[in-house]
Amino acid sequence: MDRRTFLKASAGAGAFAAAGGLSAPAIAQGAAKTLRFVPQANLANFDPIWGTQYVVRNAAVLVWDTLYGFDENLKPQRQMVESEETSSDGLTWTFKLRPGLKFHDGEPVLAKDVVASLTRWSSRDTMGLMLKALQQELVAVDDRTVKWVLKKPYPKMLLALAKNSTPMAFIMPERIAKTDPFKQIEEYIGSGPMKFAKGEWVPGAKAVFEKFADYKPRDEKASWLAGGKNMLIDRIEWVVMPDPATAAAALQNGEVDWWENPITDLVPLLKKNRNVAVDIADPLGNIGAFRMNHLHPPFNDVKVRRAVLMALDQEEYMRALVGDDNSLWKPLPGYFTPGTPLYSEAGGEILKGKRDLAAAKKLLAESSYKGEPVTCIVAQDQPITKAQGDVTAELLKRLGMNVDFVATDWGTTGQRRALKSPPGQGGWGMFHTWHAGADCLNPAVYIAIRATGEKAWFGWPDVPAVETEVNNWFEAKNLDEEKAIIARLNKAALDSVVYAPTGFFLTYQAWRKNISGIGKGPIPFAWGVSKTA
Amino acid sequence: MFAYVVRRIIATIPVMAVVALFVFSLLFIAPGDPAAVIAGDQATPEQIERIRQSLGLDRPFLVQFSEWVWRLLHFDLGRSIFTNLPVTTMIAQRIEPTLSLTLITLVLSVIVAVPIGVLAAWKAGSFVDRAIMGFAVFGFSVPVFVIGYLLAYFFALELEWLPVQGYTPFAHGFVPWLENLILPSIALGCVYIALIARITRATMLEVLQQDYIRTARAKGLAQTPILFIHALKNASVPIVTVIGIGIALLIGGAVVTESVFAIPGLGRLTVDAILRRDYPVIQGIVLLFSFVYVLVNLGVDLIYTLIDPRIRY
Repeated sequence: MDRRTFLKASAGAGAFAAAGGLSAPAIAQGAAKTLRFVPQANLANFDPIWGTQYVVRNAAVLVWDTLYGFDENLKPQRQMVESEETSSDGLTWTFKLRPGLKFHDGEPVLAKDVVASLTRWSSRDTMGLMLKALQQELVAVDDRTVKWVLKKPYPKMLLALAKNSTPMAFIMPERIAKTDPFKQIEEYIGSGPMKFAKGEWVPGAKAVFEKFADYKPRDEKASWLAGGKNMLIDRIEWVVMPDPATAAAALQNGEVDWWENPITDLVPLLKKNRNVAVDIADPLGNIGAFRMNHLHPPFNDVKVRRAVLMALDQEEYMRALVGDDNSLWKPLPGYFTPGTPLYSEAGGEILKGKRDLAAAKKLLAESSYKGEPVTCIVAQDQPITKAQGDVTAELLKRLGMNVDFVATDWGTTGQRRALKSPPGQGGWGMFHTWHAGADCLNPAVYIAIRATGEKAWFGWPDVPAVETEVNNWFEAKNLDEEKAIIARLNKAALDSVVYAPTGFFLTYQAWRKNISGIGKGPIPFAWGVSKTA
Repeated sequence: MFAYVVRRIIATIPVMAVVALFVFSLLFIAPGDPAAVIAGDQATPEQIERIRQSLGLDRPFLVQFSEWVWRLLHFDLGRSIFTNLPVTTMIAQRIEPTLSLTLITLVLSVIVAVPIGVLAAWKAGSFVDRAIMGFAVFGFSVPVFVIGYLLAYFFALELEWLPVQGYTPFAHGFVPWLENLILPSIALGCVYIALIARITRATMLEVLQQDYIRTARAKGLAQTPILFIHALKNASVPIVTVIGIGIALLIGGAVVTESVFAIPGLGRLTVDAILRRDYPVIQGIVLLFSFVYVLVNLGVDLIYTLIDPRIRY
């Protein structure tokens, strides 16, 4: 019995129970005002500036609010801000807060809180660091007004403040926001729609959020991080479940209400259960990837990198990740998230069409590769990296490369990929990862596309043409200009193989049918979600 | 006896010191970086390095070790790198589920395993003996998680008698507490029952060959007192030893059982801490487990004196 069959068998009981029309046991009945949610991972820490894992961000949007928020059209919309003004030279931004905003401790949200929060955020965030470099002054003019004076215009200001990639520009009370950005905060006071019940937090098991009675939602309809964040639930319990089969069984049995990321293997069973609804979680999806080390042989030779890309069959990767469900993946001959304004296939011919292994081998033979081992790091505890790693090992062997397959865990990968030493001296040749589509919308949030050499993300690509276009994009005045720039950037990145995209894939979410209001988005938004008994 | 107990407790100090040194050294040389996990996948190498510095992970081994030992001497296990909570708090949050699970499993195992072991010995070679030993082989061979899934399938999902997952604290009521622990205890107990039953059978077979048993039978004593009073008492020393050794099995099995049944115990805390490289938590838990194990061994030694008057310390 293989893993998939076993998981299906072990979780299959729920489908049986539902088909038989059995009711959930009394022990599974929770109050209609309590939503029991199974998150993608453990909430191990709760400082969204210090720790930038998605799970922290997803919890943080309940507790902390932002000045602006992305709507479902990826447009920044006002959230805590009532109005903003930009000086004619584009150097001075003035933000006015909505009246009546309060923190969970009852204190009003003041401009000084915003100044401290933006100062802390801008020490950690990529766009924040750019703003900090341009900053002349960031001050509170009065209780509700913040002025940010720059040395040079920064057209992407609202994007920076609204983006949902981590770390987001959350607003905290000044006393908390003054914490060193590289140290954890110890109070979890925000002005968002839910309060964090610190006393009930059991890291690794449970996190509880309670409705904030004094929250003042906007009047507009909720749309992702924008609009009125109206909570129809009094209490949200995050129940951490490391085992997917258990989570599936608990959902079918009515012991939990909403599961953020059911694994693909279990989705057919969940779909059969008449009490469970299943749908795509995030239309922005994910981009599979492996990164090659540009500092050392063999991947310091662009011919080797391109030979690998020529031989790479994205369908093999995607099938390994999502199985036979064709609605869950699509080829990605580019780097930016499909279906979003800046998506481009320029330069993507190398990834399109039938794979030409002979041509790839020929290119490899012309390269500097001399049969040295390729240290291929594959984290086995992450299904996405493991599946991709297995495919890559086969790909490299087909190509005639000598594979040194290093099966390890994600924690070790995180450490080893930071080593710049040669592969034979503790370094590495390639490692596997993936990027949330929300982090691949534009160069501002897309650290993996940057090619600044030793200052770039792991793999350290050094491609001046890419960086030129990144800088051009920051200066772009309109969408058409941005699109043209991104097309050039995409081509330059593929020509030099900044990294290898293995395809675009979606994941599911699942919930009990007595829950309504669950939408699709990069974050499991709880506002607007309601539950009947 | 009292002096012996005091000596044994004092003797745990060097044992714990060696464990502490070993655990700290092992974690220091093991690959992995908590700073990289904290920073997330989008962090730059510079940001990861800053976090590493702020956590003090870039300091030399001796500095980190001496600081840790100093805190330990003040009964301070430090704070989790990730949650920033004191390790003692995290252990306190998790100890009740694990303690409940292991205690119920222990009680269940002894109650089931000893009688069936005795029965198997009494009926040695019969169908009953073979059935019991067959069950023992099953208990040894089938992984805990498979038994866990099967139990959840039948008793939680199909019959709807018990919950699939979770833990209800004892303070919320005995029945809900027990309901959450029945399936995990059976799953975890299978291997333990198998182990104790086999040892009980083997030891009883040996004891039942002794002359005094033959004498007891010749006197016309009933089978039950022969088995459970005369024979079992003399077979108890190895059985108690195995029960003690089995505590380590239980701790190991709890890691898997707690994951399968989503019980927020020390087993899951251990796995989470290892995967994230949360060094203070790993060190705290390993020290705790070592201490428990040393205490269990001491308890076993003391029980010997109760069941065999010839043993004196």
